[in-house]
Amino acid sequence: MKNRYIFVSLILTLVLLPFLYENDESRFETWSKNLLCPVCQGETIFDSPSEYADDMRFVLKEQINNNLSDQEIYDYWVSRFGERIITNPQNKNIEIIIIPLLISVIFIIFFVRKVKK
Amino acid sequence: MISTIGLILSWICLLNLLILFFSNNKFRINLMVRFNLLINFLLFCLLEIGLFINDFSLNYIANYSATTTPPVYKFASLWGSLDGSILLWNLILACYFLVYLRYYKKSGENIDIKIFTSIIIFFTSYTIFSSSPFSGCIELSSIGCESSSLLPFQDLVSSSQGRGPNPLLQNHPLMAIHPPILYLGYIGLVLPFVITTSYLFQKDTDSRWVQLAADSTFYPWLFLTAGIALGAAWSYEVLGWGGYWAWDPVENVSFIPWLLATAFLHSSKAQLNESTLLNWNYVLGGLMFLSTIFGTFITRSGVLISVHAFSNGNIGVFLLSGLAIFTLFFVYTGSKNIEYFSTSKKLGNLFGKSGFFIANNILLFVSALIIFIGTVYPIFYENFYNRQLTIGRSFFDILIGPLLLILLLMMIFSIRLSKKNINFNEWFQQNLLSLNISLIISIIITYTYRFEYLGILTVFGAMSLLIAGVKNLIPKIKQKRIKGSYWAGQLAHIGIAVFSLGLILNVTQSYSSEFIVNENSIVEFGGKTYTIDKAYEVSREEKDIINLPISSNRNIKNASLNIFKNSSQQAISSPAIFRTVEYDTYITIKFIDSNNFKLIFRKNYGILIMWIGLALSTTSFIPKVKQNEK
Repeated sequence: MKNRYIFVSLILTLVLLPFLYENDESRFETWSKNLLCPVCQGETIFDSPSEYADDMRFVLKEQINNNLSDQEIYDYWVSRFGERIITNPQNKNIEIIIIPLLISVIFIIFFVRKVKK
Repeated sequence: MISTIGLILSWICLLNLLILFFSNNKFRINLMVRFNLLINFLLFCLLEIGLFINDFSLNYIANYSATTTPPVYKFASLWGSLDGSILLWNLILACYFLVYLRYYKKSGENIDIKIFTSIIIFFTSYTIFSSSPFSGCIELSSIGCESSSLLPFQDLVSSSQGRGPNPLLQNHPLMAIHPPILYLGYIGLVLPFVITTSYLFQKDTDSRWVQLAADSTFYPWLFLTAGIALGAAWSYEVLGWGGYWAWDPVENVSFIPWLLATAFLHSSKAQLNESTLLNWNYVLGGLMFLSTIFGTFITRSGVLISVHAFSNGNIGVFLLSGLAIFTLFFVYTGSKNIEYFSTSKKLGNLFGKSGFFIANNILLFVSALIIFIGTVYPIFYENFYNRQLTIGRSFFDILIGPLLLILLLMMIFSIRLSKKNINFNEWFQQNLLSLNISLIISIIITYTYRFEYLGILTVFGAMSLLIAGVKNLIPKIKQKRIKGSYWAGQLAHIGIAVFSLGLILNVTQSYSSEFIVNENSIVEFGGKTYTIDKAYEVSREEKDIINLPISSNRNIKNASLNIFKNSSQQAISSPAIFRTVEYDTYITIKFIDSNNFKLIFRKNYGILIMWIGLALSTTSFIPKVKQNEK
């Protein structure tokens, strides 16, 4: 029985732990993970060591220091490189989330029907 | 000469296969399957000989090898481009044909031999009618070969030098290992395809087919795991960007068969235990192989741009028609057995072994599906809307990450499952000590690395799986009664626990910064000091290397730039890696400006832990072999 109390208190500690420190993923980091380096093969400017990505990071940093809104940053990059520069199209093209979700639901129904009532 | 011999041998190979297709005599079949292997082996050796004696009258050798290519990479050039890789493909298919004959052959009629033979005929005819590595060069270009002929006995022209392989493919010896291992995995999935279709084609519906199909999937699965892991290691050591997985389309399509094979290894057990999921197992049994062909299509047809893609003329159409034929046959065979599938029993216990296997299958299959959609959707999008779309890392991370996390958490229960519903209360009582220990460790790790909730769940899942798993295994080591497949499963799971630990560390903790240095600079990075020594140049036949020795704590490693003479591409940067259990310090040269070097220092966490985990998972075959289970 004693062990159970220990278990519960340990779980609580673990859950509360992240409140002790701050989350520090910056807007810059989030955005640089969402922009494709156009001259590399499938790398974001967050990963890519290329010069081109360097320049893009520089521009992005300026934009974030100038407190541009997400929409403004989005428009800036898309107007120059087209939509393919954005690596998280799920925000605009919601169908790529919906299609897998729908299919998953169909699967779950398929399997649930295999269980005896 | 080599060209003519090769082309004629290919024709003999096709002829032999055609006769094999119509043979019913057991002795003759045995003989011809071996003969097929022999010819494919000879073809392989022949091209290797061509590569080593620099016979540039062959189109393939003139375009993908050079006199200056070092021996290891000459050897590996055989699979360095499309035509040659089909040759390796055929050789491995021929090996698996023999394996099939020895271990999985269905007694009675020879429909299975006919199915297998048709598959091999399909790939062999590609090398004969479309594009062969033995095609002779009939017109030279400024370097390499311009056009070639598929006919033997031609007057061939030969240059004195070839183009040489792509620089990326001659920069690390793993190139000689990673592709063949991966191929052994991919192509091995033909075994369950042949087994499921041949049994059900004849409506031979005792449960033997699923047992055999599952047995034959295990080793290809192992090779696939090792192959993908080696590929990750290769890109980490060669590409110089400090990563190992980029959700590149080709990586994605190699991951799909792995996910499906993993699903099948589990769902087949549900059928063996409780005669359930008959139709589902049939679907998976075939889909593994079909997804392999699809993957090859995506990689080789040139519809996508990727590090791995090498496209060539009409292979796309060829593979697509093959995919269509095999799929139609597969669907037709399935439709013949609708009655049999309807005898599939319903599942009694949702929280028994089979219930867990079903949940596992949903998660794995949906993951495969998401990856499939994410890889293919941009192609459709571009055709429909005439705009380009990139589906990259953030899409897959958001969707696949949580699914695999749930899978990890479910694995904790795998240490002891039976057909009956699991008694969570009792299970909890038995494993409370392990859970508490893993909680304490998780708290320490979480606090040290400041994890968020996704990280916390992963660490907790991995630690409990590891501790509960090991604690459960230790007393069982001496018991002889426990099945090898149980051990194999447990080992694979523990490997995955270790791997997830490394992965979450890597994803959340790694960071980098850039330094401009020159001789004798001292760099402070990540709490350690690194001294830069004097750079020196090494000149080899195929490339010039600029080495920059970097020392730390008496360890000296070289970061280098490789400038290949056969390529005008950018120089390839090889990293200097200082490795500890916790993290790698990964240093690459970005560029050189007179006397200054711009270096990127990366602290990559968890790399060694990930490799250990993956290696542990691939050792899961040992207990199976030990107990002589196929």
